[in-house]
Formats: sequence, structure tokens, C-alpha cells
Amino acid sequence: MHPVMAEFLDKWIWPTAPGAPGAAFRLRITEEKCIPGWEASFNASIGEIEKGLASGNEEWKRRVAMGGYAAEGVQMSIKQMSAQLLSINISEQENYIDIQRMRARQVWDECKHSKLHVEVLMEKGWIKSERDLLENAAAHTQPLPAYFGLSMMFPHIHPLARAAQHYFVETIACLGIAAYLSRVDDPMVRHEHLSQRDEEIMHLMEGKYIIDTYCGTPNEQKPVEETLDFLLHRLRVAL
Amino acid sequence: MCYVACRELNINAVYIGLEPLHRYEIDPHKCTYPTCTVCLAYCPAEGSIIEAESGRSLVPPPPDVHRWWLKGKSGARA
Repeated sequence: MHPVMAEFLDKWIWPTAPGAPGAAFRLRITEEKCIPGWEASFNASIGEIEKGLASGNEEWKRRVAMGGYAAEGVQMSIKQMSAQLLSINISEQENYIDIQRMRARQVWDECKHSKLHVEVLMEKGWIKSERDLLENAAAHTQPLPAYFGLSMMFPHIHPLARAAQHYFVETIACLGIAAYLSRVDDPMVRHEHLSQRDEEIMHLMEGKYIIDTYCGTPNEQKPVEETLDFLLHRLRVAL
Repeated sequence: MCYVACRELNINAVYIGLEPLHRYEIDPHKCTYPTCTVCLAYCPAEGSIIEAESGRSLVPPPPDVHRWWLKGKSGARA
């Protein structure tokens, strides 16, 4: 295992709570499914970064910022997060009120992240302002149906299904940030990633906390694991 | 996350401070550290919780303080 990833697991993944009902489940899915996916994704990130650095130009930095904007732009973020808020209906709110609170906070985080990508594009002179992106289809196109399409399905799956995306996909985001910070010196690219770091770890922690706290029986574990299996399928297709 | 995790255990030591920055604070009279360190396992911000006596960072949780791990440095299991 890459040392950056091993350190990340020690810091953020392995700590848990005493007697956490979902701890054994989280350990199993982490070892059997998440770590292989995280390793594949982390290695792909490192490979992309090395390729970009070897290219001798900055086009890859523009691509990363545009892709980031497409995935975390204001419109995308509000729509995606709204669907996730709706995955807990009124009758279940008393059981999952803290989950609502965490997801509401994430709406702002994602919208803020799009601003970081805009700052890179502006600082490098590729756009004058965020408004330039409104006419650019590349700033609003991303290829992962799991990212947005699956989010639309959460209200129909289970209130806890979203924990799989938080735990698995947000860890991929965290590891991607760690990969950029370990390889790239450009201050704007570092800023773009560093300023997201605590917030992405927050999103991962939401998934970790929900699995540890609420996923203690097969009834709660099944929708989370099925969602994780779908995300792993999408990752295999993407890589 | 520290607020949520602490409240789940009904310890309720985390509150929002009255001072102008309105930061999350930990009430030392209610907090049972080092008996309980659950907030440390879910805090996402490195260095944001400090051990008062030593001044050292407790996030992410140091293995000599936090006892509950799925696996890892301490060898302990939840």
C-alpha cells in the first residue's frame, strides 16, 4: 500500500467509537471492498498527476479545474444535495435528524469548492469570471452517473444508503487531495485542493459515523452495501 | 461531528461558545476525557481539539489516548 494511503487510513478510517453497532460491518466492507477501490482510484490519480507534470504545459490543470467545477458547481451541488436531503422523509426525521444537519452543511461546502476551481481558472487567465463558465458545456459536464444519477435514487432506496457514497466516494476525494498535495507545487493547484481538505474529511466522517452508529443490523447494512456495490461497479467501468 | 458524537452518548459536553466567535467548545466539567475520546474518532479537522494540559493535538486521535480502532496501531478493537 502507498504510504500516503496507509497514513490516511491510520488517521481517519480506523478510529471508531466504543461498542459502535456498525463497526464490524464497516471493517468488513472496508477491507473487502473499499480499500481495493481506494487503491485503484489513488493510483489513477497519481498516474494522471505524473502525466500532467510530464506534459510540460498547464492544460491538465485547466482540465482538473473544469472537471471540478462540473462536479461541484452551484447548480450541480444544490440539485444533488437537495435529493440527498429528501432521502429522509418527515416520518423518519426524529431518528435521523443529525444526518439532515450534516447534509445541509454539505450544500455550502460543495458550492464553496466550485469557487476554488473558479479561482484557479481566473488566476491562470483562462476565464475572466465565473459567468464565463455558464456558456461553456465542459464546465457542466461530468461522466459519472453514479455521482448525480444515483443521488436522485436515494429517496427511493433507504435513508442510510447515502452513507456508502459518503464513506467510499468522499474518501476517494480525500485521497485525491492527498495525491495532489504530495506531488504538485503550483500554489493555485495546492490552494484548490488544500482548502477542500477538512471539508472532504468531514463528508467522509459523516459516512463513517452513520455506518458505525446506525448500521448495526442486516436491515440497515443491506442498502448501504448494495449502494457500495453499485459505486464499485461504476468505478470499475470508469477506470 | 464532535457535537453529534458527544450527544449520541448523552454526555453533552460540546456546546457553542458565548464569546464573539461562537466556536464549538468542550465543557471540561462534563467531558470525561480521557475515559471517553469518542469525539476524536469523528472530528475531521486536524489539530482542532487540543489536550489542555500538554497543548498537543488530539485530532486525529493519538493511539496512546484513543482505545477504539477497527484495526491499526493500538491493536485494540471496538
